[in-house]
Amino acid sequence: MDIAVLIKIVPDSESRLEVRGGKLDESDFKYMVNPYDEFAVEQAVQFKEVAGGKVTLVALFSETSSIDTDLRKMLAIGADEVIVLRQSDYRGDRPAGNATVLAEALKPLQPDLVLCGVQGIDYYQCATGPMVAHQLGIPHIASVTQLELANDKLKAWRQVEGGLQVIETSMPALITCQKDLNKVRFPALKDIMFSKKKPFENRAVPAATGPDLTCAQASLPPARGGGEIIDGKTPAEKVTTLLSKLRTEAKVL
Amino acid sequence: MSVIVIGEVDGSAIKPASQQAAALATQLGDPIGLVFGSTNAAGKLATPRVISVQGTEHYDSLQFAAVATQVARKSGATSVVMAATAMGKDLGPRLAAELGWSYIADALEYDSGTWIRPNYAGKVLARLEPNGPFVATLRPNAFPAADDTAGAVEEFSSELPESTTVTLGVESAGSGIIELTEAAIVVSGGRGLESPENYDKLIRPLGAKLDAACGASRAIVDAGWVSHSHQVGQTGKTVTPELYMAVGISGAIQHLGGMSGSKCIVAINKDPDAPIFKVADYGIVHDLFEIIPELMATLDG
Repeated sequence: MDIAVLIKIVPDSESRLEVRGGKLDESDFKYMVNPYDEFAVEQAVQFKEVAGGKVTLVALFSETSSIDTDLRKMLAIGADEVIVLRQSDYRGDRPAGNATVLAEALKPLQPDLVLCGVQGIDYYQCATGPMVAHQLGIPHIASVTQLELANDKLKAWRQVEGGLQVIETSMPALITCQKDLNKVRFPALKDIMFSKKKPFENRAVPAATGPDLTCAQASLPPARGGGEIIDGKTPAEKVTTLLSKLRTEAKVL
Repeated sequence: MSVIVIGEVDGSAIKPASQQAAALATQLGDPIGLVFGSTNAAGKLATPRVISVQGTEHYDSLQFAAVATQVARKSGATSVVMAATAMGKDLGPRLAAELGWSYIADALEYDSGTWIRPNYAGKVLARLEPNGPFVATLRPNAFPAADDTAGAVEEFSSELPESTTVTLGVESAGSGIIELTEAAIVVSGGRGLESPENYDKLIRPLGAKLDAACGASRAIVDAGWVSHSHQVGQTGKTVTPELYMAVGISGAIQHLGGMSGSKCIVAINKDPDAPIFKVADYGIVHDLFEIIPELMATLDG
């Protein structure tokens, strides 16, 4: 079974977020593999271990930035090859345009299964996966916390309000991976060494076209000041004061 | 110009988050409701016209997107709105791709053509100004809801499109679970609780007393105390309740990203330097094992 995993390269979650002149200052961003996509890689490797086949990672990113080390780590945990699609004006908030470019790269691979994270921790649109599935004309199941392979079919447990929807699908299909799916393994030293020999292709791709909206203005949400520390000699006093403030001042109880 | 409102059924009711979409839709054009599953509930969606689709008990991305596309094209609609629920977040982008329209995910605000949506788990707000057709999903509880109505219901008369996915069933996480993203009150626990037993002994009962959803910090999810569906923060859920109570949570920046949009934040932590106090409206610097039992006893009294 051949599996393709879509990898988004996102700003590190510790990145400082500053807005200047209505635009987010991205100049100091450091980038990493989107954590949700790591669950997708781990799942792909687990399937490969039982069903054989090849795991190809497909990432779309800007022309210049280097993210080789992070992607090599994904090879070290068991993926077979990487294709990095290099785009001159790449942006992470263009799901429709990015899905078109990704789908074009996937078609010649003819994967039986496409895996990706449920969302990127940059824009949280949960959109690229379903849009790629549409472009490929295959079904998708989003926000999956458990995935089983049985007799050429996939059984997926999908996170919904108050429980899990259990869905069976034929393949090819696209699955977006939620956090509970698995624990991503740590690569052994010999796998890290070996990963340096695996195929790593950089491929130039055209600019994104699609009906994506451009952010007209970025702003920071109103800052929250530290509030009031509740005084009191005993736990009972503190609790009574808190409840009375929640009822009469904040009016949320 | 028509606007399609996709309504979601919960038992025999329409979800409040869908009534919020119905209320907003009146600002965008002439709303037409589209409800999958239950004709009885469909009539309650607050749109003057409602189209009900039978034979669709469970959400199916291929089928729902195909039906919504047909309805949107036939009615000449220029926008589709729905709640950013598990279904909306899944259907919204697929439908936008099928229609070739712009997609606005998890919108927080709308005002005369301008939308605000969160980036970086709400740590940055982006303004979007679509000038073509679009599909938008709305963050639950970010918009006021319309009241239930008793409108006329038309049946979706075309044949249902084929799908290659089958729902085998729904596994409930237990009765009376309140969904984090839709709750008015959220009580969250963190590492300060010291053990999963204390989460069950303190956070769950306090949540039950307050009619609240129970959340968790990443630390205790990663430690396996509770499932990821409880996690609030950058790799979990973003919540915006009226009241957020953080118990034994220090407040890592990734956690703050997921809850700092709450109307009122209460922090209970024995460490006065915990970052959570920087965003809390009310803080109690005290041992949570003394405060929470006292709080529950006082709420009972």
